[in-house]
Parts: sequence; C-alpha cells; structure tokens
Amino acid sequence: MTENWIKSTSIKDKVRKLRRELDPLTITQTLISYFVLIGFLVLPLSSLVIQGFKFEGGLSLNWFIDILTSPEYVSLQSRGGRMFEVRRGVMYLWGYDHGILLNSLMVALTVTVFCSMIGIGVAMIMGRYEFKGKAVFKVILLIPLLATPFVNAYVVGKVFNPQFGLLNFLLVDLLHILPWRVSVDGLVGLIVVQTLTYYPIVYTNVLSSLNNIDPSLEEMAENLGSTGFRLFRTVTFPLFLPGLVAGAIITFIFSLEDLGAPIGFIGATANPLSKNVASYQIYASFREALTGDISPKVSALALLIMVVTVLSYTLVKYYTSRRSYTMISKGGRWSPRLRKPRAGIQLLIVGGLLFLFILGAMPQLGTFVLASTNWANSGTFPTKITGEYFMALTTNRDVVRAILNSLMYSVVAVAIMMVVGSSISYVVAKRDIPTKSLLDLLATVPVSVPGVSLAVSYFLFFSTPLFRGSLLDPLTDPALLLILAYTIRRLPFMTRSVYAGLQQIDKSLEEASLNLGATRTTTLGKIVIPLIVTNVISGALLSFVYSMAEVSTSITLGALREDRVPITFFISQIVYGTAAVGAVSIGASLCILLMTVQITAMAVSNYVLKQKASFLGV
Amino acid sequence: MVEIELRNLTKLFGDVVAADHVNLTIEDGEFFTLLGPSGCGKTTTMRMIAGLEFPTEGRVLFDGQDVTGLPSFERNTGMVFQNYALWPHLKVFENVAYGLNVRKIPKDQVKERVLDVLDQVELEGMEDRFPTQLSGGQQQRVALARVLVINPAVLLLDEPLSNLDAKLRVQMREEIKALQRRLKITTVYVTHDQEEAMSVSDRIAIQNHGKVRQIGSPTEIYNVPQDIFIATFMGRGTLLEGEVTSTEGGVHMSIGNITLQGLDSTGSISQGDKAACVIRPENYCIDEPIEPSNVLEGEVEWTSFIGPYTEVRLDVDRHKVLVDVPPGVEAPVGGRLKVYIPYKNTIMLPLEE
Repeated sequence: MTENWIKSTSIKDKVRKLRRELDPLTITQTLISYFVLIGFLVLPLSSLVIQGFKFEGGLSLNWFIDILTSPEYVSLQSRGGRMFEVRRGVMYLWGYDHGILLNSLMVALTVTVFCSMIGIGVAMIMGRYEFKGKAVFKVILLIPLLATPFVNAYVVGKVFNPQFGLLNFLLVDLLHILPWRVSVDGLVGLIVVQTLTYYPIVYTNVLSSLNNIDPSLEEMAENLGSTGFRLFRTVTFPLFLPGLVAGAIITFIFSLEDLGAPIGFIGATANPLSKNVASYQIYASFREALTGDISPKVSALALLIMVVTVLSYTLVKYYTSRRSYTMISKGGRWSPRLRKPRAGIQLLIVGGLLFLFILGAMPQLGTFVLASTNWANSGTFPTKITGEYFMALTTNRDVVRAILNSLMYSVVAVAIMMVVGSSISYVVAKRDIPTKSLLDLLATVPVSVPGVSLAVSYFLFFSTPLFRGSLLDPLTDPALLLILAYTIRRLPFMTRSVYAGLQQIDKSLEEASLNLGATRTTTLGKIVIPLIVTNVISGALLSFVYSMAEVSTSITLGALREDRVPITFFISQIVYGTAAVGAVSIGASLCILLMTVQITAMAVSNYVLKQKASFLGV
Repeated sequence: MVEIELRNLTKLFGDVVAADHVNLTIEDGEFFTLLGPSGCGKTTTMRMIAGLEFPTEGRVLFDGQDVTGLPSFERNTGMVFQNYALWPHLKVFENVAYGLNVRKIPKDQVKERVLDVLDQVELEGMEDRFPTQLSGGQQQRVALARVLVINPAVLLLDEPLSNLDAKLRVQMREEIKALQRRLKITTVYVTHDQEEAMSVSDRIAIQNHGKVRQIGSPTEIYNVPQDIFIATFMGRGTLLEGEVTSTEGGVHMSIGNITLQGLDSTGSISQGDKAACVIRPENYCIDEPIEPSNVLEGEVEWTSFIGPYTEVRLDVDRHKVLVDVPPGVEAPVGGRLKVYIPYKNTIMLPLEE
C-alpha cells in the first residue's frame, strides 16, 4: 500500500530530479554540444535528404528510381572491363563494370571479406604464437595505417604496371615465372589497394578481442576434448566475433567512401574503370559545381551510400553492445595462451608475415622512394637520389600555403573538438539528462557518414541564401566549413578517448569535492579535468593527425577557393596529373610529412602519455 | 553543531525502495550509527543527509531548517567515503586544503589549519606525499582530516573502516570515537558490522529493507531487541519457535517437550500466539543461579574452543542450543550437560508472518 502511494508522486520527483541535474554547467555543456551537432551535422544532412527527394517542385522518389533503374548506376550485365583475359601477352585483372552503385558495393564487400580473412589470420598468429621477430612485426604490420592519401594507389598502380612495373619485371623478365605480363587495374586495383590499406583495422580489432578472452574458457573446452579447428569454431571464433564485426564494418565504410584509391589509380594508369564508383562520381560532380549547383541526382547518390553506411554501422553497434563477452570471468590466471611452434613452422610464419608486410607497406615504402629519388619518371627503378622534393616543402609557395592551411584548419578543429568532445563525454558519462543517448549517438555516428556525403550536404545547406556571403558560405570562403567538417568527422576519436578516461574516475571523487563545498564547475576544473588531461591530449593528437590527413571534404569543399586548399587537395591535384610532370614526387614528400606527424603523435600518445593509441573500431 | 531530523524520508531507485519512510532525530553532538546488512538502505539514507542523493519523499532538517533540496556543497557536511575518495593527482596537503581553498580562506590561514589538522590525525610530515604513497590507515586519516579541516556541522562516515585490516580497524575506531568526543561534532556512522557499531555509538538505528526497525542505545538493542530480525542480526544466539501457553507473570512458551518462561520485550504477545524465544549463548549458567531460571538439559553434540570460553552445541529434545561454557567446565562430546537461563535473559518475540 505504501509503495503505491510512493509511486504516485514519482512524476513530481522526476521533475525535481531534472531540475537538480540541469545545473548551469550541465546546461552549458549540453547546449554547446547540441548546437554544434545539430548545426553542422543534423541540419546539413537533413538538407541532403530533402534535396534527394526534391523533384519538379515536390517530393518524390524520382531520383532514387532513376539511379536504381539506369544501367549507368546498376547493371546486372557487365558493361565492360576485363577479368582473367589474356591479350597480346598481358593478363588483364580489371574487374567487370556493373554500374557505379553496384561497383561500389562489390568493391567494398570484397575488400571487407579479404581484410577479414587476412585480419583473422594475422591476429590468430600474433595472438596465439610465440616466434622470433614477433615484436618487430607487431610494429611494422601497422605501417599500412600510415596516411599516404592518393600516393599509395599511385605506387600500387606503378608497381603493377604491365609495361615497366616492378612486379612484371620481377615475375616475367627476371624470374620467368609467369607466361604473360599482368595488368592489375580498374576495380581489382581498388580492391588490392584498399585491402592492403585496411586489413590492419580488422587485425587490431580482432587481436584486442582475442587478448580479452579469458584463457580458461579455451582451456575448459580443451579439457572437454575440443581441439584444433573445432575449438576455434566453437569457442574462439564466437568470442572474438564482436571485434571482427566492429573492424569489418569500419573497413566496409572506409572502402565505400574512399577517394584516395580511385584518384590515385587514375593518376597512375588513367584507366576510366577506376572512376566508376560512387565516391568518385560524387567528387567529380563537385568539381563541376564550382560555380553552380549540385544536381539532385548526385545528392540522391550521396544520400544512398550514406544510408547504407549509417544503417549498417548502427546495426553493428547495436549488435556489439549486446555481445560484449570480454572480461566476463575475473580472477584466476590471466596469461595469454601462447605456443611456441617448431622451427620449421616458425620460419613459415615469419615468411608469410614478411610477405604480407612487403605487400602492405609497399605504398609507404614506395612513397618514400618517390619522394627521395627520380622514380616518378625513371621507369622500373629509380636512377638518382635527390633531396629537391623534400626541399619543395619549404620553398614551393603553393606547397607551403597548403601545409599552413591544413595546420590552421586542424588546430582550430581540434580546439573545438576538445570543448565539444569533452562536454559530450562528460554529460554522457556523468550526468543523467534526457536525450543523453541521442547525444551519444550523434557524437559517434559521424564515423559512418561518408565524407563526400557530408561535403555535399554542407554545400547544399550553407550555399542557401540564408548564409550567402557569410563566412559559412562555401562559395565565399570554405575555410570555416572545412574546420567544422574536420570537427564533426573526427569528433568520435575525441569523445571516445575522453569517455574512456571519465569511466576510470570513481563517482566518489567528484562527490567528495561537492561535499567539501565546491560547485560542479569548480569540481570539473579542479578534479575532473586534471584527472583526464592525458586522455584529452591523446584524443586531441589523434584527431589532429586524422584531420591533417582528411581527404573527402578537403578535396571537395577545399577545391572551392584556390588560396584555401589543404594538403590533401594539393596531393590529389598532383597525383591526378593537373600539376607538372614529376610533381607527384612533391605529393609523396607531403605524404612523408603527414606520416612523420602521425608517427610523432602516436609515439607521444603511447610513450609519453601512456595512453593506448585508440585504433579504429566501433 | 547541529541536530538532524529525518521525516518520512523515502528513496526509490526505479522500483527498488532504498529508504522507506525513515523517521529519526540525531541529537546535537551525538554519535549515531545506521546499522544493517548490505543493501538495507543505510548508505542511501546517509547520502540523503549529505545531499548527494535526493529523497523521493520526505524531508531532511538541520536544526529545524529544511535542507531537503540543498545541493551538497551548501550543506557544510563532511563525508568520509568508504573508498576514501582521495584525489590521486593532489598531494596530501592539497587534498586537505581543498575545502578551505573552495571557501577562499587566505593562504596563510589555510596552511596553518591544514598543518594543525594533519597534526591531530598524526600525519605530520606527510603533506608532500601523494595518496598512493600512503598506507591504508594513513589514507583513511587524510580522508578524515580533509573533512575535519572545514569544521563541518555534521560528520558523515560511510563504512570508513571496511578497507582496513582487523587490528587497525579496532585502533581506528577508538581514535575516531576519541576525536568525535573531543570535537563534540554530530556524527552519522554507517556500518554493517554490529560489533563496530556497538563499540562507538551513542545510539544505533537498525535498518532492513529500507525501514528503520529499532532505534536505541547499544545495550537496549542488544538486550531488548524489538523483533526477530534484530535479535538474530545482533550477536549470536539460539532461536526457538513455539506456542505461547500463558502470559501470566511473563510469557510461557512450549516448544515440543520444552517449556520456557521469559520476558515480552514488545508487549504484544498474547496466549495462543506463535512466538520465538531468543537466548544469547553467554547468558547460560552452569550452576543454578539465585534468580528464577529456565533449565535445559541435553547431549553435547559439538564443541569449539574459542579461548575465553568453549562454544558448545547441545541437542535438547532435537533442538540445537548454542551455549558458551566457561573454562574449567568439562563438556565432552557425547556427554550430558545441564544449563540454566534466568527468565530476564530469555527474550520472547512475536513471530512475523
């Protein structure tokens, strides 16, 4: 009876509770977060949605039907391309053209499957075996994650070139292993480049899941008589599946929105098949939109691929949040199950990993060769070492301007991210306000929004008369929009890092401060922030690195004004061939600069701040 | 210094009732303990006094003034957390000075007061250490110093000794008690350890399932428990259930072939009721005492030598009875033993449904 009486007052209680939760600090933090997320994520994307449905003054599915029914976008029959076809002594591996949309999906799915297979294999070896040189492989297997936008694909295209490429030289001219030369290009070329670039994403995610499995779970299964593949299939695989899915979905999204590989390949081989993917088509239409408008059909395409990525990401996130097996059991022995195989097997493992490393790090190694020699126009091998391309980083006026622009955008974006990201994390981790989970979702979902889609939406939204002539108008000055695009796209890195720090702080540390007479604001400044400062800096470093190397919005919005171009736009221009011959080496030296920044930031984060460098995942 | 009054204090977490219409008054300068098993709502009740939790219903009054809606930082309470909640990035001095700095006390005064309070808790010379460089007992003292330095109106201690080893726990509870006596500060102490509660408290409130079951001095609660939960929660004992045959000149109860006579501490037992009899093992006499007593005789089933006494389990007509036998009395397993319990130590309680 008393309990009924208590319940009847619970609405009043909720109102009072809400009023207590909404102290000035929380209100400020929540408002700032929503302002940025709604203003620069929700509203622009809404305008993309509206534009996609707009037709002859009304709303209709016209553009989607148009896309899904025209063979240019979706064609079940091949519209061209070659696969396993030998002509005049050359084996062509290009893939078949099934229309822009199907090509994109096929490439992304194939890349995801290949990356998952390689990722699982490498993770099982690294997580379960002990062998000579393992510590070295731990580091060098991550090299493909180093940013070499466009140039990576250019290098692969050059190495696989049927006439004077290194691969054909080795396999045909030198060793006479193959009867014909091989041409890897077109869609297959994209798949190769993206697989080599993204497999570490799956690998790191699976490995971390694998390391979190309590060894006694596998030992118990062995004890009951399950060994070998049966053990893997029934216990190990299901337990690391959430990690695999998390890595795979990121790979799928990255592949679908990737512009680096198509542009790089076109620069290397000029094969038009590499252009027939959605991301490139949206990018290309942007180049035409310089003065005018973006067609509703392109908006619809941008919207379509965004729906695919956001939907699959949200589903996976929901799945993984319900399937978190890690650390179920506590206590007991917790040393990973490491076996030391026989010398012969060890040799096999080392050989295999070395092969993978050479393939995977080929773009990075090639970039270095391009930047420091005359390889760009010397044929199969470089003939001369030169420092002139590195010098160009400080002497070429256009290059210097691009570097300074990128630095400025990234620094300002990171500053905004620090305020917004910390606010969101704090509210989500420590306060109990309504719409808290919406805030959390809005802060993580940008991971899955394709950069080109965001760029189109910014263009559509901010070039409306409402913003005409203002600093937000992309046709007046894209600088501020680039900063905000970086902020939104890299915000998840920041929030995740800060959130991890906040979770380590026991509630009582804040309560003790409140109890001693400090307000929430004072408590935040004197207790909370000092305790998470390393997480904030580590998140900032990571966001900075990924902002400097940001591609999609940089080469679309960045193209709108010559004196505002960022580094990646400059590289894309060089690789695409707009700039002078041989200039691709300057692009490579810019990539070396990006890699240096990235390595430095990772090292500081790992060894100075003692933060585990957050890798890409859900 | 302040008198605390809780009126109908109720807290719901979803459907879980953490505190259920708690009514009590803690007097100025009193050492008051909330005692109960884990999950009984004692910590929630304390956190509502501190302003870290807000009641669903009811009010908290300090010296008659309603503070129910006041946030923690406006209440001037000093809370010592179970895990101490020392800030790991601040040195001992900075931890203790925090409350004074928040109150914008001049620097020289802060230093003087911090050093003084560190002296009081015997931590002089430790001010430049970080919390992680201290032992558990020292951390506990820092936590205490950190709240004492602001001269709080109320001292709140949430299981402050639970992280210390047994010996240190006894030492610290004596120190806390002495400190509280000296400062005459109203203190609320939360613990699940009944021995600890009895040794430090002026009064104890026993809480179970959110409800306060009894409030009283340690002796009252131990000797005159108001219900079976309290009787079994406090100390050891034997619980025998039976039927009340008469209430003339005390309660007469029959348990199978055993008949017992005892005191009705609640005054609510009548003839024909089901009732329970609680007897503490230390209250038995081996020789017949002068006072009127019940007699029990049975076979020694099991013995355990504790030191000051030997614990003996008797089988009396298939009822197990726990008896403390003083040193020097022979009670071999399998032998027979006759014991006496004065009526006044035989507690009769109504059986709850």
